[in-house]
Amino acid sequence: MAINVMTLSVLVFLPLLGALLIAATPKKAVGMQRGIALLTTLAVAWIGIALCLRFDGSSAAMQFTEVAPWFTLPGGIDVHYRLGMDGISVLLVGLTAILGPIVVLSTWGHIHVRVKEFMVWLLAMQTGMLGVFLSLDLILFYVFWETSLIPLYFILGIWGGERRLYATIKFFLYTFAGSVVMLIAAIWLIWTAETTDVVRLLDIAGRMPVETQTWLFAAFALAFAIKVPLMPFHTWLPDAHTEAPTSGSVILAGVLLKMGTYGLLRYGIQMFPGAALEAAPWMMALGVLGIVYGAFLAMAQTDVKRLIACSSVSHLGYVVLGLFALTEAGLRGSLLQMVNHGLSTGLLFLLIGMIYERRHTRALDQYGGIAGVMPIFALFLVFAVLSSVGLPGLNGFVGEYLILLGTWEASPWLAAIAVTGVVFGAIYLLMATRKMLFGPLVHSENKSLSDLNGREVALMLPIVVLCVWIGVQPNVFLDRTDASLRDVTSRIEHARSARTASIEATPVHRLEIEAR
Amino acid sequence: MNSDIASRILSQTTLDASGPFLAFAIGVLLLVFLELFRALQPLRSVVFLATLAAAAWAATRTMFGPELSVFEGTYVANSTTSSWSLLFVATTLIAWAFGRKYYREEAHLEGEHDILLLTAASGMVLMAGSRDLLVFFVGLETLSVPLYALAGFRRSRRESVEAGLKYFVLGSFAAAIYLMGAAFVYAGTGTLQLSGIQARSDLLEQPLAITGVAMLVAAIFFKISVFPFHLWVPDVYQGAPSPVTTFMATGTKAAAFAFLLPLAFALPVQSAGLIAAIALLTMAAGNLAALVQTDMKRLLAYSGIAHAGTMLLAIAGIFTDPELGGASQAILFYMAAYTFTAGGAFGLLTMLEAQTGKPVTIESLRGLAQKRPGIAAALTLFMLSLGGIPATGGFLGKYLIFSVAVRGDMIPAAIIGILLSVVALGYYLRIVVAMYMQSESETQTIPAESRPLASAMALVCAAMVLVLGVLPGWFLTNVR
Repeated sequence: MAINVMTLSVLVFLPLLGALLIAATPKKAVGMQRGIALLTTLAVAWIGIALCLRFDGSSAAMQFTEVAPWFTLPGGIDVHYRLGMDGISVLLVGLTAILGPIVVLSTWGHIHVRVKEFMVWLLAMQTGMLGVFLSLDLILFYVFWETSLIPLYFILGIWGGERRLYATIKFFLYTFAGSVVMLIAAIWLIWTAETTDVVRLLDIAGRMPVETQTWLFAAFALAFAIKVPLMPFHTWLPDAHTEAPTSGSVILAGVLLKMGTYGLLRYGIQMFPGAALEAAPWMMALGVLGIVYGAFLAMAQTDVKRLIACSSVSHLGYVVLGLFALTEAGLRGSLLQMVNHGLSTGLLFLLIGMIYERRHTRALDQYGGIAGVMPIFALFLVFAVLSSVGLPGLNGFVGEYLILLGTWEASPWLAAIAVTGVVFGAIYLLMATRKMLFGPLVHSENKSLSDLNGREVALMLPIVVLCVWIGVQPNVFLDRTDASLRDVTSRIEHARSARTASIEATPVHRLEIEAR
Repeated sequence: MNSDIASRILSQTTLDASGPFLAFAIGVLLLVFLELFRALQPLRSVVFLATLAAAAWAATRTMFGPELSVFEGTYVANSTTSSWSLLFVATTLIAWAFGRKYYREEAHLEGEHDILLLTAASGMVLMAGSRDLLVFFVGLETLSVPLYALAGFRRSRRESVEAGLKYFVLGSFAAAIYLMGAAFVYAGTGTLQLSGIQARSDLLEQPLAITGVAMLVAAIFFKISVFPFHLWVPDVYQGAPSPVTTFMATGTKAAAFAFLLPLAFALPVQSAGLIAAIALLTMAAGNLAALVQTDMKRLLAYSGIAHAGTMLLAIAGIFTDPELGGASQAILFYMAAYTFTAGGAFGLLTMLEAQTGKPVTIESLRGLAQKRPGIAAALTLFMLSLGGIPATGGFLGKYLIFSVAVRGDMIPAAIIGILLSVVALGYYLRIVVAMYMQSESETQTIPAESRPLASAMALVCAAMVLVLGVLPGWFLTNVR
């Protein structure tokens, strides 16, 4: 009997296996460690892409599901090892799988000490992230959610910049504090619903009274809002990004933050639609606040990496705005924008990393006129910036357009304010690009910079292809998400009609009491 | 008449119920006998390990059967007490393994050390099985007196003797309070058995009895190092020899909790709020004080106080928890995870300490990941488990304890408690930071020395921490 490798378990645990293999290699065998890491992530990318292609977008059901009994909690609640993929997770799984080999290749340039440990943590992190997206058991989800903190903690703390220890501990404690409150809510939910099966919890939680839902939603959303990070919980992100090594930043921006937005969609909106309706105005307001505030923050930065980190706050504000517009267009746009942000911001961080490896500074005023010395670099940077600001024909445009469309349906005012973010985004990113690439070449150190080499170009090409592909044919990607998102919108509609009914019913109820 | 009593005492049931205690007691006698003959002394380790094996075997015999109640209902053996006994065997094994080759000047006293260790273990077994205030007291003293001696075992060192004396004075004081409390309870209720005290629903109207119960609880709080009876812990843990600290941190706490659980059912329901408040204060006191420690043993001592507070939260929830036996299972699991985690962590400290001869500080751990990657990795695992990160036993223990609080409708207390556990990560992470993210300090270097037994024990502890976190199925089904 042939062993089927095209399963979610293989996808999730193959990176961990690779990490263990690397851990067993001798310390000095850097080539072997890099080789194993690259091969593993390539295999993961292959399996991930294959599964995403096989995914049937016309069904909202969980696919490729795997179930095995795990252990029993007091009260006879059976915890299972349950994996499955649906339209909400499919694109994010694909993104995580594809970014793997790219990140590994990018480390050739900037990770020279303790390579072995780095590769181990990098691969372990991929297991954690894939597990978060694919878990269908609340306990399993929580296990992946928290353990995925550890690898980044090490990556930031060991290979980070000067203030890395401060940034590392801040990052860890911030996100950990958020998730423990979620744990208490999860304990209550599991005990009340008597199951840890996420698919069943979605139905049970959705039928709970709105007040109960709101408490649970608040606890879950806090954890996710810190991870996203949503204003005003964002302060850990610029520090973490600035201090992280390039590959850490790419993973952080590319995938890790998406765990927060994914959580908001799955364990916020889909699980507690009644509460999401109540919270939507607040969450949208925070999203818009993040868009504008992040943009202003970015404009004030002189460190180019910090600038991109702040732009992340702004861009993720869009994702949250689109999610809590609670319209089909908004949800589709947000889901796509999660991937878009991963690709274009990932690309930006890669490029900043490459120039940093050559010039060892990230101060904007240390550059200028680089385009003449490094034309290929300039080409890629301009492409990444255009993709990030949402040039029509590239990926960012589709996502932002859908989000604004969805927001317009829910609240034209917020959509109008959010549009300013698009303008600001164009301003600060294009200004930074101009300062770096064009103008006179004032600093003599910049004259001898070498342009990108073959490896660097090769590792960025897949991202470029995807950016264009999403921009030109977004439906190839969106089609896979539609059925699942319709399931989400139908839950929201159900909650909305229940709310209308209860509002209409309230006066009658009050009269009854008064009559008594 | 006499033969009747004799046959009742020597019945199969009695032997089964007191099996683990008998195993330890016989082991102690055998070891004393071995000490008489120099030629027999190489057998010491064999006898010691055989005793542990016999105790474990005896414990498993009563683990799956019905509850056995012997000696007029003053002593019981059921699945819970058997689980505790197994845990005590593990605790003793850990302390013993890390103690090998640890004592330099006192190497010739190893025999005494082992005898004291086994005697203390027999006391713990007695404490866990007792359902009578006096039987518990006998167990408590059988545990405490050898521990006083063990704490001061490195008699050439001032701090060790100081720790022994401190522990002795304060411990005797606690024992006196306990006895006074038991006397009050007897005066008020006319019984010393837990079942008899539980049967009295008018406990609150009996000032004498309720004062007595409060004194009993205070004495037990002293043993499990709960606020405000925790102040002795850092000094004693720091001064005592590290293997003994391991034993005190895990064993004493476990044995006291094992008795506190049945005793809690004798408390009035109204005390739940007070116990929850004490639990949270303990967590706060332990965690906040640990944040500023530099000495590793002191830090782990304060962390142990915080963990005692966490477990006490489950005791507070016991009154309103609809899940019968939930608190007992939670505390057992938490304590098992804590035993392997803290046991392993203290054990690694004994290894580092034995090599340098100096106390281990956070500063001295800097750059350890490069020098001793194995020790650094294991210590990291233990720190993560103490911090309650998933995939370790510490996480599931935390989950079970806070489940009790949530089910018992104490959600605000649960939220405050779990946020206090975030504070704890602040110092656990600082240790990991020192080992992995800071370069080696120049003043202290740690030379490599092989202690195969201790290394193997550390490995077993690490494996158990992972097993309890990833494959807890067997423990959750059978250990309750």
